[in-house]
Amino acid sequence: MNETNDRTAIAVHNVTRRFQRTGGGEVIAADNMSLTIPRGEFVCLVGPSGCGKTTMLQMIAGLLAPSEGEIEVDGRKVTGPGPDRGVVFQKDSVFPWMTVIQNIEYGLKCRGVPAAERRALARRYLAHVGLEGLEESWPRELSGGMLKRVAIATVFANGSRVLLLDEPFGALDYVTKHQLYDVLLSLWSEDEQHRTVVFVTHDIDEALLLADRVLVFKAGHIAADLSIDSPRPRNTESLLQPAVVAHKRTMLEHIGLRPSGGTA
Amino acid sequence: MNATVTARRTTPSSSPRPVRWRPRVDVVGLCGVVAMLGVWQAMSVHFGRVVPSPLTVANEMAKNFISAPTFRHYGIADAGYLDAILYTAGNVSMSMIAGGAAGIAFGLLTARRRLLRSALDPIFLTLGTIPIFIAAPFLLLWFGISRFSAVAIVAIYVATIVYAYSQRALYNLSPVYEQYAQTLGADDRRLFWDIMVPGTLPEILGGLRIALAGAWGLAAISELIGSQRGAGKVIQSLANSVDVKAIFCVLLLLGVVAAAIDALMALVISRVTAWNRAGGNDHE
Repeated sequence: MNETNDRTAIAVHNVTRRFQRTGGGEVIAADNMSLTIPRGEFVCLVGPSGCGKTTMLQMIAGLLAPSEGEIEVDGRKVTGPGPDRGVVFQKDSVFPWMTVIQNIEYGLKCRGVPAAERRALARRYLAHVGLEGLEESWPRELSGGMLKRVAIATVFANGSRVLLLDEPFGALDYVTKHQLYDVLLSLWSEDEQHRTVVFVTHDIDEALLLADRVLVFKAGHIAADLSIDSPRPRNTESLLQPAVVAHKRTMLEHIGLRPSGGTA
Repeated sequence: MNATVTARRTTPSSSPRPVRWRPRVDVVGLCGVVAMLGVWQAMSVHFGRVVPSPLTVANEMAKNFISAPTFRHYGIADAGYLDAILYTAGNVSMSMIAGGAAGIAFGLLTARRRLLRSALDPIFLTLGTIPIFIAAPFLLLWFGISRFSAVAIVAIYVATIVYAYSQRALYNLSPVYEQYAQTLGADDRRLFWDIMVPGTLPEILGGLRIALAGAWGLAAISELIGSQRGAGKVIQSLANSVDVKAIFCVLLLLGVVAAAIDALMALVISRVTAWNRAGGNDHE
């Protein structure tokens, strides 16, 4: 799982990340971790709170520096955030002082894309996420689910080949979540060469519905690396397939829960 | 429920419309003005010697608005109430620009630099607590009885208020916006102009509005202490001569101009921060 080649999008080499506790001592969120993610793969990082999955995502995004080791994206060492790695945050990050269309255009504007071209591209992605007619709305006029659609449209419109999503749908209701799975997978499958997606979640079913591969994190280590071969499109019935149920059992065991309930 | 996860477009159930500003008549405010005039008229009937009626004040205003030859008897220029209020408005404007610029610049600088904040906070805190009657003699000693001294007193007050608001605005701005902008390709210049400035604008403008409200009174006091023109100087001279109706004229004019400029500023704030008007998520 750690060999790099031309198809590698993300390579994590012996990365350790420590945090100092206020009262003294330290927490190791990532402990000498190594992994590679091929281009076009949809990978979910799953695990309980504090297992290091968000830390890993932030290090890949360049928002957090590793204490030791290094991370490469498309062969280049990560030294800070950049538009080659789009991020959808857990918190609402859509700029409230920009209209919906200005938000989607913002990354393109930063990169110097001409106004007419970026407006056309933004409209295309706005339509793709089902928000036609809301171009001039302020973010405060949108629901939580709509804001996530804007954020997703923005990172896709910006053309990032690597997309990092940090529990983006954690605060949304069941129906909205499933609508957004559709939106995300529809955009992901839009290009022939899929973009590489790293999706952090603590929801095992969400990971099984979305991912090609699930990495189970536990106490700063990768406890399991599972390929999800269930055919797409997947639905809630896909979760009942024996192979998927077996994956779920493995994940629960690694997280520390018995499949039948209670802690292991 | 059997939710299929595939490429299917979904459309939001409702389409909120942008909120647009419309001019409106403040009926409650108008009622307040009418009530105040009523009380004033009633007081003038009972305390006519010290409280002139609204009509008497209006006549005095009309007579001496542009030019006031009687002012010469009080030892001040005969330029009328308009000149006095324009002079004070000029002082307030200069103080707001100078004090506001300093307050915003230092407030934003210190918000993200702890060392600088530790160094400057005590200075601004101390400046903000010095009463004007204590600060004024020093400024008059250093700079003489000049317009500069009058403006400096008010500018210091404006700077201390705007400093606190600007610092708090950037300190409270969620770092997720800057991180998001960086991942979209924003450089430092864009981070400042596209994220920090608009993100802090509502709080900074709120601070400027509060500073403006206090600046009028302080400007008048600073003129009263050390100036040859302006509303404060006219009030001081008229008070020495016990010209009550003329004092009322200046006070009324000062209040009306301050209220009008405050209303104008409120309008500007509501326009430039239209995105923040409801102060939260409108969508249910």
